[in-house]
Amino acid sequence: MSISTPGGPERRPTVVSTGKKPAAGRPASGAKAASGKPAGSPRAGGKGPRKPVTPVKVSQGRAWGPIALFVAVGVLAAGIIGYGAWASFQGSKPWDKRANAIDGIVNIRKSDPDSLKYEAHKSGPLTWNYSPPVGGVHNAAWQNCMGDVYDAPIANEHAVHSLEHGAVWITYRPDLPQDQIDKLAGKVRGVEKMLMSPYEGLDKPISLQAWGYQLKVDNADDKRIDEFIKDLRVNASVEGPTALCNTGITATGTTPRELQQQPTQ
Amino acid sequence: MTAPSTTDSEYDEVEAAPQESGRAPARRYGVLALAALLVVGLLLGYAGGLLTPRLTRPGDASVEAGFARDMTTHHAQAVEMSLVAYRSATLPEVRQIAVDIATGQQGEIGAMQTWLREWELSPTGSQPPMSWMSDGATVKNGLMPGMATPQQMAALRDARGIEVDRQFLALMYDHHLGGIHMIDAALGETDNAEVLRVARTMKATQQTELNNLRQLQEQAAKG
Repeated sequence: MSISTPGGPERRPTVVSTGKKPAAGRPASGAKAASGKPAGSPRAGGKGPRKPVTPVKVSQGRAWGPIALFVAVGVLAAGIIGYGAWASFQGSKPWDKRANAIDGIVNIRKSDPDSLKYEAHKSGPLTWNYSPPVGGVHNAAWQNCMGDVYDAPIANEHAVHSLEHGAVWITYRPDLPQDQIDKLAGKVRGVEKMLMSPYEGLDKPISLQAWGYQLKVDNADDKRIDEFIKDLRVNASVEGPTALCNTGITATGTTPRELQQQPTQ
Repeated sequence: MTAPSTTDSEYDEVEAAPQESGRAPARRYGVLALAALLVVGLLLGYAGGLLTPRLTRPGDASVEAGFARDMTTHHAQAVEMSLVAYRSATLPEVRQIAVDIATGQQGEIGAMQTWLREWELSPTGSQPPMSWMSDGATVKNGLMPGMATPQQMAALRDARGIEVDRQFLALMYDHHLGGIHMIDAALGETDNAEVLRVARTMKATQQTELNNLRQLQEQAAKG
């Protein structure tokens, strides 16, 4: 609609030569007024019908108002469409591309893939090249990761198995202020494929792990924490999205447990 | 878009005609032809966009459809075996791996059934099982590679104590071997990105589980 108005008045005067013109001009100027155009236009449109206007005079004065408006609307539309396209493009990017774009993330799948290979489950204490570990050999039992917030350190041997199932494991230095711990816990509680525990000897206050990925940050307010969770939770699973996070170990303590034999039948 | 063009043409018709006779109509037809061409082009592009996924999606006799249907059947038996073991096995590690297999494979069944719906195909095929595999894998008594016989399944259900663990581990080991054989066939014959992605995850998971099952077999042998 707005396109028709600037086109009308601008064009009409230049072509006009007979008395017929005012009649044709009327509806256009009326429509213009109704759509509330800025000051520039009424001059050209309003005067037209009253007196015979010399072509020279009108063709000279360009209706800058409508032009400016048209340009502004055009720029705005292009901006909206452009942003929408950009956002949907970003959203449809594969998770590993998005994860790699996180500033400071360490991609062990790329830098050290051999460290993630293992033959079979192993019982007893195990060692890894990364602290906290991000994948590789692990215990037969996984640590429960149904949004579990552990208030004491847990066994790496179980947590790495949780990572294999697609969990994001948030670890923090035990001296992290309580308000920051609460903030982190808020990202974990009630969310499957999430677990969190304090960790002794971290070189940064907070460290996030997914299978083959690690990100260390100083503060619970760091926006990259949410990005890491969004990009890697479930996605990083080695065994598909339905690998279990329940029926595992729920106890704390850094010594790996052997599964308890339960009375059956 | 239509509003301005009608306004313009009215002016041309009424006023410009007397001055520059002939030129204006020609230009008008040029503009109209261009607009029509643009509209036709857009419609063609839109129709092409709509039809392409329809024409390129897997058909009823495709490798992808056969894989989705047969692997669903194959997985369904693994889920049943695993839930028996989860309920009745003695070794906690066996129960643990059993429930992991059961939920993992049930999840994969969900993915495969969703493919079939998206491809607008029936979950039931008219071809005999395994006919999508070009290497002619054998179906014995209607069973795909690695699947347990009805007698073996009955024995597993009736087993008690450590015998549940032993039977389950042996059956699941063969089951995974047969499954990997089918997955390899699909990997070799499809270029569907989603099927490839899921099949690769299946294969990696089952290969790791084979090692774990073998390890547990040694444990279960001791009692």
